[in-house]
Amino acid sequence: MINTSTFLCILRRSIVAGAVVAAAVVGPASANKDPVTPKQLKLYQEAFMEEVRKGDLLFHGDAAMKEQLGVKLSTTGWACAMCHPMASDTHPQAFPKFQASMAKFATLRDMINWCIEKPSQGEKIDPESEAMKALEAYITWSNSGSVLVPGKY
Amino acid sequence: MSDELDRIRREMHAVLQQPGVRPDDSLQITRRTFIHRSLLFGAASVGQTFAWWPLLNTIDVAHAAEAPFKFAWISDTHLYERSLNTRFVDKVVRAVQEVQAMDPPADFLIFGGDLAQLGKIEELELGVELLKDLTIKKYYIPGEHDWYLDMGQKWGELFGQPNWTFDHKGVRFIGLDTVSRGPDYWTAKKMTPEERMGHMATLDGTVAGAWAGVGRDQLDWMQKTLADWDKSKPIVIFSHNPLYEYYPPWNFWVRDWREVNDVLKPYTKVTNIHGHVHQVLYNEIGSMRSIGMLATSWPWPYAPEGLPKLTKPMIRVDPGDPFDGVGWETVNVNADDKVDVEYIMWGRKEVFVQSPEDHDKSIAEVIRSRIADKQYPWANP
Ligand SMILES: [Fe+2]
Ligand SMILES: [Fe+2]
Repeated sequence: MINTSTFLCILRRSIVAGAVVAAAVVGPASANKDPVTPKQLKLYQEAFMEEVRKGDLLFHGDAAMKEQLGVKLSTTGWACAMCHPMASDTHPQAFPKFQASMAKFATLRDMINWCIEKPSQGEKIDPESEAMKALEAYITWSNSGSVLVPGKY
Repeated sequence: MSDELDRIRREMHAVLQQPGVRPDDSLQITRRTFIHRSLLFGAASVGQTFAWWPLLNTIDVAHAAEAPFKFAWISDTHLYERSLNTRFVDKVVRAVQEVQAMDPPADFLIFGGDLAQLGKIEELELGVELLKDLTIKKYYIPGEHDWYLDMGQKWGELFGQPNWTFDHKGVRFIGLDTVSRGPDYWTAKKMTPEERMGHMATLDGTVAGAWAGVGRDQLDWMQKTLADWDKSKPIVIFSHNPLYEYYPPWNFWVRDWREVNDVLKPYTKVTNIHGHVHQVLYNEIGSMRSIGMLATSWPWPYAPEGLPKLTKPMIRVDPGDPFDGVGWETVNVNADDKVDVEYIMWGRKEVFVQSPEDHDKSIAEVIRSRIADKQYPWANP
């Protein structure tokens, strides 16, 4: 059985070797190759939560956020959250799937645009737009306790 | 949140679900109820349970009425101004035409609250205008969307006292105001009336808090109102919110359900009919039965947890059809001790799920409460 000090010793040696190899291959200042720092983790998380926040506001019909991102999600006063409080029943965990209402194999983004166009009577948004990413961020964050069941009706 | 919900739910069961306590025994569970025997005994799969379900979407609830009669219920129309949204207007028009066409006619209409979407004068007046075409007697209770722009001022001008009582053919009817006693979340944060209304109008908002309640003063009024009423005679109580705890984060409850139960406990034939949830809902709380009604505007999904076991869920709707998942109700009080509620859900022959996949919760979900309204300037200290 390996004792603790031996184990640490092996570990240290391999870290040193690894660092030398990394430095030789990609050079310094590569964020993904350096061990992550708590500061970086915080930044990454904040970047995500900022999108969640924007998506939350869009999802709840916030006029200022809609204007900021240049989207018209409804023309009738409707907001996503009116049918989906807390993003309930959005089922991001079930996508991609065959979506009966569209009669096609669809992604969550397809579904979001269908809802904007049909029940909300708004204007479809660019699937690569910040508004779409923010909505996706909010919906998936809200459902982050749900289990993935892609394809489920 | 879940732990807190669990704690409340356990407490509610301990307080209300005493061994042997159920709604009055004269009430037989029949083919027309939507509680299935096998559900009561915890047997049978969902598929088996629902297979025999009849086409007629009714439930039997109570009591000995002197003479059979019907009344109608419409609620949760959530009207915007006509220039902004005509779909909601179309649905009110349809409900009004259908109630008006009832033959024999309904004795009266109950409007269960949320007439307006943002409590605006124009919205409330539009509602009055649309309901004018209905010539039977009408009774109104308020919803939170009607109230928090001007704190009930316009509503009061149009409809008078929000709580009321009357007797009709051997049944005592009571209308409650479960919306106006919310905690003050606006003064300290210097909100405009529109901001106050905006938070109240967001079902899953976190700012307005636990606003649904009956209030000590109204409980005392109800107790006094019932004091001369025979304990075994039927009582029907209308409220915007359910008079028990189903899902507090969406105010699918009243926070003082314990006190409500204390007042109603001596009476053996109590039925509560409520709006706000925009969904088919059934529960038994102590000796009271509680029935949730459809909206005309849009259906809410079932809450992620807490759906009463006695509820036979409504069918998952097609969001592409504005007339799906919504409608109105007739309530039939028969001479043979029954009150039937019939859900008139437009665009559906089947109101209830036919298989597990018809249930919107067939895809299990664990969801979180929103965050954007927990930040400045609305954050609680
Ligand atoms: Fe409502
Ligand atoms: Fe409501």
